[in-house]
Amino acid sequence: MQGKAGYFVGKLIELIVTLLLVSLLVFAAFSIIPGDTARVMLGPDASQAQVDLLRTQLGLDKPLVVRYFSWLLGILTFNPGTSYAYNMNVGTLIAQRLPVTLGMSAIAMLMVILISYPLAVLSARKPGRLGDQICSVIGHVLFAIPPYVASLLLIMLASSVFSLLTVGTYVTPAEDFAGYVGCLLLPSFAVALPKIAMSFKFLRSSIIEQRASDYVRTSKSHGLSDLKILVRHVLPNSNVSSITIISIILSDILGGSLIVEQVFNLPGLGRLLLSAISRRDFPLLSGIVFYLAFITVLLYFLSDIAAAISDPRIRLK
Amino acid sequence: MSSANRSLKRAPGAYVFYIAGVILLGIVVAAFVVSLFWTPFDPNATNAGAKFIKPCLEHPFGTDNFGRDLLSRVMSASKYTIYISVAGVAIALILGTIAGIPAGYFGGYTDKGIMLLGNSIMCFPGILLALVAVAVFGASVTNVIWALGLVFAPTFARVCRLGTMEIKELDYITHARVMGVKPARIMTLHIFPNLVSQLLPATVIGLANMTLFESGMSYLGLGVQPPDASFGKLLSDAQAYFRVAPWLVIFPAMMLVFYILGLYFISEGLRVSLSKGGK
Amino acid sequence: MKHLITKSVISVMALSLMATSFAGCNKKPADANNNAVVGITQEPGIFDPHTVVAAGDEEIIFNVYEGLVKFDKDGKLNPCLATDYKISEDASVYTFTIRTGVKFHDGSDLDANDVVYSLKRAAGLLESQDGTALVSELDSIKEVKATDDGKVEVTLEAGNTELLSFFTTGIIPEGYDNCQAAPVGTGPFKFESYNPGQSVILVKNDNYWQKGLPYLDKVTFKVCADMDAGLTELAAGSIDIFPYLSADRARQLDSAKYNILSNGSNMVQIFALNNKVEPLNNLKVRQAINYAINRTDIISVTMDGAGVELTTAMSPAMGSFYDKSLDGTFKQDIEKAKALMAEAGYENGFNITCTVPSSYLIHVNTAVELASELKAIGINMEIKQVDWATWLDTVYSNRQYETTVIALTSAYAPYDVVSRYQTSASGNFINYSNSEVDKLLTDIPLTADEKTRTDLYHKVLKHLTDDACSVYIQDPTTITAVSTRLEGYYVYPMYVQDMSQVKLVQK
Repeated sequence: MQGKAGYFVGKLIELIVTLLLVSLLVFAAFSIIPGDTARVMLGPDASQAQVDLLRTQLGLDKPLVVRYFSWLLGILTFNPGTSYAYNMNVGTLIAQRLPVTLGMSAIAMLMVILISYPLAVLSARKPGRLGDQICSVIGHVLFAIPPYVASLLLIMLASSVFSLLTVGTYVTPAEDFAGYVGCLLLPSFAVALPKIAMSFKFLRSSIIEQRASDYVRTSKSHGLSDLKILVRHVLPNSNVSSITIISIILSDILGGSLIVEQVFNLPGLGRLLLSAISRRDFPLLSGIVFYLAFITVLLYFLSDIAAAISDPRIRLK
Repeated sequence: MSSANRSLKRAPGAYVFYIAGVILLGIVVAAFVVSLFWTPFDPNATNAGAKFIKPCLEHPFGTDNFGRDLLSRVMSASKYTIYISVAGVAIALILGTIAGIPAGYFGGYTDKGIMLLGNSIMCFPGILLALVAVAVFGASVTNVIWALGLVFAPTFARVCRLGTMEIKELDYITHARVMGVKPARIMTLHIFPNLVSQLLPATVIGLANMTLFESGMSYLGLGVQPPDASFGKLLSDAQAYFRVAPWLVIFPAMMLVFYILGLYFISEGLRVSLSKGGK
Repeated sequence: MKHLITKSVISVMALSLMATSFAGCNKKPADANNNAVVGITQEPGIFDPHTVVAAGDEEIIFNVYEGLVKFDKDGKLNPCLATDYKISEDASVYTFTIRTGVKFHDGSDLDANDVVYSLKRAAGLLESQDGTALVSELDSIKEVKATDDGKVEVTLEAGNTELLSFFTTGIIPEGYDNCQAAPVGTGPFKFESYNPGQSVILVKNDNYWQKGLPYLDKVTFKVCADMDAGLTELAAGSIDIFPYLSADRARQLDSAKYNILSNGSNMVQIFALNNKVEPLNNLKVRQAINYAINRTDIISVTMDGAGVELTTAMSPAMGSFYDKSLDGTFKQDIEKAKALMAEAGYENGFNITCTVPSSYLIHVNTAVELASELKAIGINMEIKQVDWATWLDTVYSNRQYETTVIALTSAYAPYDVVSRYQTSASGNFINYSNSEVDKLLTDIPLTADEKTRTDLYHKVLKHLTDDACSVYIQDPTTITAVSTRLEGYYVYPMYVQDMSQVKLVQK
């Protein structure tokens, strides 16, 4: 690698090739699966003539290859095209759904950090003590509760025990911001639960490992206080892995909130994706997949860079 | 054997994990084994006159909206859950290892190419992939398993790649390389065994995610076809009735958690004893 | 250090407590405003009154556009934008008198030219069109013209007594072509906005020609992913009306907050048997299947009892055209079914697959119950779920299937219900073919006398039942929850939500 610029250019090329490959895969998938966009839009009661008319109107009568390249041309000019089913710009459609998906990811991420970090630090202080044991056991159990199950149980709990009846009602942030955050809390928690356990376990063992390492012992013998060692040495070094973990968690949340969105009836990106697939809406689906791929690749990219910055071994090179 | 014994002795925590894991997993596996020969009722026989019976002596887990005995259904669902998750993860694990270790070991363009492909698959909606598999090869559980395996393979590839990158820097591997040991031999005999402790938790996460992904796919009619069910499918069917028949959620959820937790505890036990034994 | 950590733990806990209380104060007071929120399960998408075919769109735009005639809550056609109509003796010319004093949402006045433009557009007769009718039933229109006295004369290619109900097609201003993005009609509500995947908002039309209507200022159609999502929204009080509940879910609602209305949906749920594949091409096999199943049980497990048993292709909601004498034809009789199977040479039964659309839980559940019941006569039915797009393609369009379960919907017109059984009909996905039925179906539109026409319908239905062309199961009841703060909502025998009569309950 020739310095930083080369590194970035390399990553950029990687990003572009990945996105191209993904769009090509979506395109290939569409040419394989059965289903006619116009027929899905019009339903079984429409006559074949009506279906054909709509096909011509939407440009569906052109071969898929032609449509793919015109889509690709659009992407190059930052125009993701028009959704067949919604008759709206794909970019607008995605932007409309983002508050749900991003909000949920952000809140879930916040929950993961706010809960797992303090608990991990606390647990790792005295490994094997009762508090640590309890946290670990709870962590193990939480880890085994998948978001889907958690969503169902949380809804049951919320509606029957606490008689919180707001489950399943979405409020846009523009309408009422507190309401928006409120309606995303339970679903975010359902997504966050196993991730909290995962992040806790990881951080805890990483802190314990770092603690036992030579340099921490040396610092200790030099009279540095516990807190200083923790902040200056232990946490930064465990950060290498926690950044990786966080990026994995984030991409998991982004891609995996589909079921939770469904259970909580949230109009998020996952549901839009499902609707695009079931309506055979090629521009919309490619747009969403392209967008998600972009975010995912970007996340890995950022985590690579963050790891490079905070890992002393990589820094030394 | 002796080293395993020693490591068990050195790590009392591992015992606890093993015992808890075997008990939990045992419940699910027992349900599965027994269901092959006997279930209290025919799990798929409907009975309009016996809908939504609360858990009682005759139906310990109650009955569902078709009047089917839930205990019998949970027992037969364990079969599909175990089959799909184990087979899917096995495929993902094999594909991921085959791709991930060389990527980490050789680096450079091999690494770039493999990771590029992996990232693309990860970004590709799994449900769409499953739809394609079904469209091309027909709607069967096996085809869906292949799709699932492919979707999950990049995760394992990443774990293998990162692990390999660390391990290959270790002295004895460098030494072996200098000595002229063939890469294939180094990768299979020296690197892979060292990856096991990292792959185990990933495998358990994979098993858990697989059971869920499978139930998510039932929204599009993929995966296990009714009247058969998996734990995930039982849960997604139960969602409609949790207010009137909470037992329809509770029992399958319980079994699903037992399954994942049991696997997880066993892997924890293994990890603890392996890491202690390794030192 | 210790304090710091304890503090942070406590603050995390406090945060999560706050979290729960946030969720608690998220209830929206809806009573203060003169509006209503209707839950819908189908994503709307098409707002052009002439390209609308999906029922999910129709239910919304019923409030925006109006036709020359309009259905009322009993399924009767009443004059609407036409004050009067006349059908010629041979049913080939329809003459409409256009109502005066009606304003479009854009402020312009309705006249005969608007009607001519709209009908021509629907029938594909505009110069800019290639002749394909947008509303396929209006394809038979040859000419539309305005007469000197402000009437509109519609000439058909051949006589058709069954066409009146399709003049419910929406009338739009002359020359207007932007209905998809900005719908303009004469209906009680104006189109305000569409938020894909979330909602469609309509507002009151202050200039509505029926004085005093509508009562509400604003109606929001909110998309709910499915019935259960709708139920949660109802429980949360964030929607007022939800029309697609099942009986068991409706029971979960607080009766002080919601009134439950139920009505036949005029749908025909059918266990469709592909008449062209072995062994379903055998009449005895089809009869055996009809005798083997228990419709009461199916309705019990799929609709919690809320459905009307059917033995023929038409719902009793169609009034006199429905033939009551066919009620109870195929009462469950396992012995008879077994005997029929043996006569057909299948005493050991056979294997068959049922391809069902996975997005329709009621049909999937019906298939499950059917499979369980068919075991009794040795038929081993495997269920294969496919997504809706695949179903439309492989089952409906290409007829590559053995059996399926689906609900046939129709415009509220008896001819629309039975016309698919003509051998050459594009909707004849069960591959039914009976030359006598074909003849009857050709005769019906040419028969002016109502009594004779009814007889012809009865004959068609009798044939369908005698041929056991498929298994007719039920007309699923539409169960609607309506907030007790509202009144004046009626369940229509077709797929529309009429919001014009709905108003707040006066306290």
